[in-house]
This record gives sequence, structure tokens and C-alpha cells, in this order.
Amino acid sequence: MALIEIQDVSKLYGFGDATTLALDEVSLNIEKGEFVAVMGPSGCGKSTLMNVIGLLDRPSHGKYRLQNKPVDSLRPNQAAKIRRDTIGFIFQSYNLVPRLNVLDNVALPLMYKGVAATKRIKQASIMLERVGIQEREYFMPNQLSGGQLQCAAIARALINDPKLIVADEPTGNLDSESSRLVMELLADIHKNGNTVIFVTHNPELTRYATRVVYMHDGSIIHDEKTAIGRVASTARKVAEKSLTNDEDHLLAGVSTIMKTFPTKPSKSSKSNKKSNKKIKRKKQ
Amino acid sequence: MTNDYTRGNFKAGLKSLLSTRLRSFWTMLGIIIGVASVITVIGIGTGIKKQVSHQVQHLGKDVIVIRPGQIHGNTGVGSAGVDVLSGLNVSGALTTKDVKTIQSIDGVSAVAPISVSVAKITRDKIPYSNNLIIGTNGDLPSLLNQSVAYGSFLNYEDEGTYAAVLGDKASKRLFDEDLPLGRSFFYNGKEFVVRGILNPMNTTPLTEQADFNNAIFIQEEIAQELSNNTAPLYQIMARPEEPGDTAKISQKIDAALFKTHGYQKNYKVVTGGKDYDSNGTVLSLLTQMIAGIASISLIVGGIGIMNVMYVSVAERIHEIGIRKAVGATNRQILSQFVVEASLLSLFGGILGVALAVIINLILRLLTDLRPAISIEVALLAVVLSVLIGVFFGTFPAIKAARKNPIDALRY
Repeated sequence: MALIEIQDVSKLYGFGDATTLALDEVSLNIEKGEFVAVMGPSGCGKSTLMNVIGLLDRPSHGKYRLQNKPVDSLRPNQAAKIRRDTIGFIFQSYNLVPRLNVLDNVALPLMYKGVAATKRIKQASIMLERVGIQEREYFMPNQLSGGQLQCAAIARALINDPKLIVADEPTGNLDSESSRLVMELLADIHKNGNTVIFVTHNPELTRYATRVVYMHDGSIIHDEKTAIGRVASTARKVAEKSLTNDEDHLLAGVSTIMKTFPTKPSKSSKSNKKSNKKIKRKKQ
Repeated sequence: MTNDYTRGNFKAGLKSLLSTRLRSFWTMLGIIIGVASVITVIGIGTGIKKQVSHQVQHLGKDVIVIRPGQIHGNTGVGSAGVDVLSGLNVSGALTTKDVKTIQSIDGVSAVAPISVSVAKITRDKIPYSNNLIIGTNGDLPSLLNQSVAYGSFLNYEDEGTYAAVLGDKASKRLFDEDLPLGRSFFYNGKEFVVRGILNPMNTTPLTEQADFNNAIFIQEEIAQELSNNTAPLYQIMARPEEPGDTAKISQKIDAALFKTHGYQKNYKVVTGGKDYDSNGTVLSLLTQMIAGIASISLIVGGIGIMNVMYVSVAERIHEIGIRKAVGATNRQILSQFVVEASLLSLFGGILGVALAVIINLILRLLTDLRPAISIEVALLAVVLSVLIGVFFGTFPAIKAARKNPIDALRY
């Protein structure tokens, strides 16, 4: 049984003419133990998909089953408990509470679980040792570098030993050295049998993944399995194409991923076009 | 588990308040002033009540006081009303005859007249002016609950003799020695011998100016004789034999005087208890009213807390988003903000009590007021301010807790 089962999930923002479709009937199954990279241009719905998977947002339509339980219409408090116990979310902008020191930030999920103060501080300290910034545990977030902040955020995501790690561009704000550190940490978590989903713009980082999912305009247009240690083949193509992207294509709004599949559009991209038409008709 | 969680909230709330110290202080100021004014107003009220009741107790609650309807002037000439109604003026006064009338009533144990005149005396040829001469008799000390420090008070045996008893201050003022017993002074050409000195009195049963501590007590008959019967009786004091009989005896006195005064009601019979009761009612009504006004400022302080909590929530929506993203339930967010609001108002309340204590000290130093701060009132004000804080802190907290995590994170 898949850990995550997403079926025809859509997410709409706004009302009337201003409606935008962030997710367009996306279906995705992710098995336990997978290390999934999600790629795609800005605004293609990657983050929305992550938020839905991480239970930070609700889908407008469609079904979402996590650990074989429906979670698309949970009450806020039940969703909060699943976020606390089952999911670790890592943000691009770290999202540590600025007024709390690193240790308290990492211990936050334990506090909401009701773990005693001394015990949760001890646990948080151990977790910070694991991510390599234990010597900074009493620092305030504004005293740390981006890489250290992201390590602290990862420690916070891991503190409740979640089944699923969701990372929305965890390396987006980091230099290559810190990126490597963060990715090594995620790879380490994956090795311990956890499921990891992460969003990235960097094709190089698909080396860490076992599976790469490509998104465009709210749909999944390509999905491939890849071996750890190798850059995914499509991602490589995208990377090469992006180097040779010309002005005409830019003007026409043709993205590198679209150019990667010029002749053989996948099944999902067809349905994507259909639904696009539907929406256009609605708008008219 | 719950305790520990609450403690965490407490710590977080404290941190948050300390990080915005100045704003927290301005917010608390409303509560501080509210609590301080409620406590001070009630303190002043109870203080005055205590002072008044102390005076009454000093007089003795069962003492009956008879006062003339009007006190006529010492000189008898010069004031505007005297020309036309001078005859009536005399009829409004109490006389030594009235003292005898009251003494003859059954059930009256002690009667003392008090006549007041201001006169010059000489001691060893040194003149002293503005002396308060009080004409009275041997019953006065018992009626005033007043004890004699040295020597003895006037008594019935030496009626008609020129003996004098000095108040505590008068003895110090007139004589250059501590114990002027047996010394003498001249008043109206007669030599008076000091036979006793009183202990200091706690309060002045007369007016501010007529301080008993500063008075010279002589026999009433002598006082009348020396002032050519112009010293008016300021009042007559009487006490019933049985303490419970005050009302009955005062009615008897009233009836007897009504007869001797030619069926004219030109005097007043007042019992101390009655005076005190009506004063007390008025005072407590006033205190309640001002305390009510002061508690409005408490509520205004509460609204201030609500405003600041709204701002505090608004600028921390992102933090709320983070907390919810890592698994905080609505209730946990709510309790965090409610704890913060109640801490704010608790500190405000405690500082308010401190301010009230300071105001109390200043009032005691600079005025005659003796405000009494009771622990009950202080506790009540603090508890009330915490309740107001919780009440007004809950609305912004509910707003904070209901945020969708992803919406909160976008701020």
C-alpha cells in the first residue's frame, strides 16, 4: 500500500475571473521509502502540491490518503496532530521562530506533543548533534548562517521521527556547499527508511533521488525512476536545453520542460491541455 | 503534562512581553492606573470612615450631646442679624439651668456643660493671649474617655473655687516647666491654681481651632461669673446609666428641655451613634460611587490590552503559521495568547497595587487623610484585572488560532 495516494487533486485560488488553477487534477502515488524530487518551472504548482501533501493546505477537489487514511477533509486539530507526529516539513525560508533560540525551535513540536521540558531539550540537543550544529544550540536564529538555519529546520522536522519528510526547495536559498550538506542530511534520513519528497530547481540534486517528478502548469507531465548517484536523464536534458534557451521561446512563454517533450506529449500533459481548454471556455 | 505545557506557555509569554518591554508597559499603564485608583479611592473612603468612627468611639457611642439651635456671639453687638433679633438670640442658647434640668432626669449618670471663651491670661506678669477657656464640671473626663496625667480633674467639691486643669499642649505653652502643678496664673483679675494636667487627646471633639489639648478647664460657674454670663454653652454632654438606653434618655432630655425652654425647639439633642451612622452611610455611598468610576478605568485598561493583543497577533501571524505547521492545535495557540494577555494584566495589577501603596504613603505624608489599604481590596483588584485581561485577550487569541497554517505562513 502506497504511503501517499493522491487522486485527481485540484487546487483553485481566488474567485470568478481571477481564479487560478494551481493544481489541475493531479494524481500521484508515493511508496514508503522513496526519495522523490519534484521539478518544474516557477508557478507550476510544486509548492502547492507540497503544501497539500504536508497538510498545510487543503485540496479544492480530489482525494488524498496518507498511510491509507483519508486526510483531505480532516478537522484542523486532527490535521495539526498528523503534521506534528507524521510529517516533517522543511521550508525554503527555514521558518524558525525568531524569538526562540535554536534549541527551543527544534523542541517546538515536542512541546506541542506534551513532552516534559528537560526531556524535550535533551532530545532536541541530540537531534542538533545529528545535523552537526550542536555547538550553536543556544544561538538565536538571526545569529546563524542560512545553511545552519536549514540544518536546524531539518532537526525540527525530524524531532518527532516522522514517516514523511516534505521539503519545499530546501536548498533554494543556500550556496552550493550548504546545499550539499542539506542534501546529504536528507539522503541520510532516506537511508534510515524514511520517505522524502523535495522540490528543487537544480538538476544536479536529482542525483540523490530515486524518482523524479516533473510538473508544468499544475500537472505532472513526466515521472521517472532514477538511480541514486545519477542525474536523472530528463533533468539533464532540461539542464542542457536551459543553457541554449533562445529569445523566441522566452517570448512565446515556452519553458525548457515543454521543449524537452516536443513530439511525444505524455498522457498527463494531454489531459492537462484538455482541462486548460475547459478553463478557457469557462473564462469566456 | 498539562502543567508542563502551561509552564512552557508562561515562559513564552514572558519572553514575548519582555521583548516588547516599552509597549507592554504602556499597555499595562491602563490597568496600573485603574487598579491603583480603585484601591486608593476605597482606601481613602475606609480611612475617613475609620477616622470618624474613632472620634465617635473616643466620645463614647452612648454619649448624648445637646447643642443650642444657634450659638450667639460673645460680644452681642456688631453682627447684622443682632439688631433686630437680639432678644431671640438669647433664647436659643443653653444655660446652666439646662444642665441642672438634665441632671435631675432619672437614668442620667453624668452631665457636663462645655462653655467656650477665648481670653487673655497672665502668668508671672507675662501676658498670653488667645487662650481657650473651657468651663465645665467634674463629669467631663468620663464623658470624653479622657485620663488625667498628673494631679486630678475638677470635681464637685471644689465647685466655686479657682482651680484649673490644663490640656497637654496648654501646659507646655504657658509654663516653662514640665509639671506646673500648684503654679498659678491670672485670668480676669483672679488667681487660678493648676491642679491637674491631662494626657494628650487622640482627637479633638470640638473644632479644628478649639483644640482640647490647648484648653484651660475651669469650673463652669466660675467661667460664667468671670465672663458676666456671656460665655455661651457650646454644648452639654450627658450619658445614660445603662449604655443601651441612649435613645430613651435622649427623648426624656428632649421632653424636659422642651418644657423649660417655653415649648420652643431651639436646641438639638444628638446621639453620637446616630451621627456616626448617617455619616457612614453617606461615606460608603460616595466611596462606592468613586470606586465605580475608577473601575471604568480598569475596563478601559482592558480594552487597551485587547488592542495591543490584536497588534501582537497581527505582527506574529507568521509565527503562528510556523507553530501550526509544526503541529500546534488551535487550542494550544489560543492558550499561548490568553496566557500572554493575562500575564500582562497580572503584572499591571501588581504594579497597580504598588502604585496605590506609594500614593497612600504620599497622602499620609502630605495630608490629614489616613487611607487604609486592605489586602482584600488589593487582591480583588488584581484578580479583577487578570479576569479583564483574560476576557479581552481571548478575542484576538481566537482570531490568531483560527488562521489556516498556509495563510498564516504567507505573511
